[in-house]
Amino acid sequence: MNQSPSRAALIAALAESTVPVRRVRPAEGTALVAAATLAAAAGASAIFAFWSGIATGAASPFFWIVNGLLLLLGAASTTALMAGALPQVGARPNAPLWAVAMLGVLPLAAVIEIVRAPAGDAPAGLADPDALHCLSSSLAAGLVVALAAVLFLRRAAPVALARQAWLTGLAAGSLGALAFGVTCPLDTLAHLGLWHVLPVPLAGLAARAIVPRLIRW
Amino acid sequence: MLADETTFARLMAAMQDGDRAAATVLLTEAGVWLERYFRRRVPPGQVDDLVQEVLIALHAKRATWDPARPFLPWLAAIARYRWVDHLRRTYRDAGEELLEDSGASDSDEDVVLARVSLERLFAHLPAGQAEVIALVKIEGLSIEEASARSGQSASLVKVNIHRGLRKLAALVEKAD
Repeated sequence: MNQSPSRAALIAALAESTVPVRRVRPAEGTALVAAATLAAAAGASAIFAFWSGIATGAASPFFWIVNGLLLLLGAASTTALMAGALPQVGARPNAPLWAVAMLGVLPLAAVIEIVRAPAGDAPAGLADPDALHCLSSSLAAGLVVALAAVLFLRRAAPVALARQAWLTGLAAGSLGALAFGVTCPLDTLAHLGLWHVLPVPLAGLAARAIVPRLIRW
Repeated sequence: MLADETTFARLMAAMQDGDRAAATVLLTEAGVWLERYFRRRVPPGQVDDLVQEVLIALHAKRATWDPARPFLPWLAAIARYRWVDHLRRTYRDAGEELLEDSGASDSDEDVVLARVSLERLFAHLPAGQAEVIALVKIEGLSIEEASARSGQSASLVKVNIHRGLRKLAALVEKAD
């Protein structure tokens, strides 16, 4: 067999440095993201106080719908993220795309509600004074989730960096909004559909720009 | 004789457990497999460098192989990742060179690489971009000569080559 001397030397050096390794398991990444989400929710509750309306049944159906969809998107994107964390070839799940599409219905519905409201009776929507607070706090909570995902991806070996970056952003945005959402007593469609959903595309765009350089190997 | 999937998987499991003899055999056999993989993708002068890059990656990321899954698709995914990275670096360097000028000063290897890698992808580019990339990166014309031949201004030739190469890099990166 014709092997270059430099390759033979490389193989000898690599073999010499071989030690037992602990396998990287996608389930560990999933657990890490879940733990980060819980930590973000606990942190948000400690800072802003858990909204008791969730426990007493005062939360509106919109609260459950919006946060349920955020949870589904977070689960779908985290699952896809972890599936792509190890080198592999073949088809990739597109469940996150459908979950994003479903979530996208909410801002549309919120805008319709705002536009169709009688003059002077528009629900808190575009001019919502709490909008920036919810948006920034959700993104901050999402940062905790994103950090967990990136830490795991750096241990793993993703081979589709752009896709992994989008998925990191979708998971961070949705789970961050969900984590902060447990402290927000504003449960109208206009508020939730806009300001608790907007962190998702924003986090996706930010992650697409930043994450590839953090996980390149 | 090239090792088969079962042998690769057994050696890899042993390497994950720290078996150095198994690591030597595995890396040697993987090198042969990778040589075949890259022979159809890059010019001969670049094969050994890429093989060694992948061997280093294989060793560094050995903890990411799951014994419940086949080994060769895992290795192929790493090889493809390194190949795309190699093309991206090549195209980016080519694009930076062009902005500084003189596509005709490329080494023979770069021209061959461009010929091997670009021709199959030209169909995805606008005609104006494909034409000047072919003139400068494959035929070796200068920017001015390509400008005269294509009827595009020298600035447009540079911009079209730069954009075209970036688009090609993106296409390669997205492809499965």
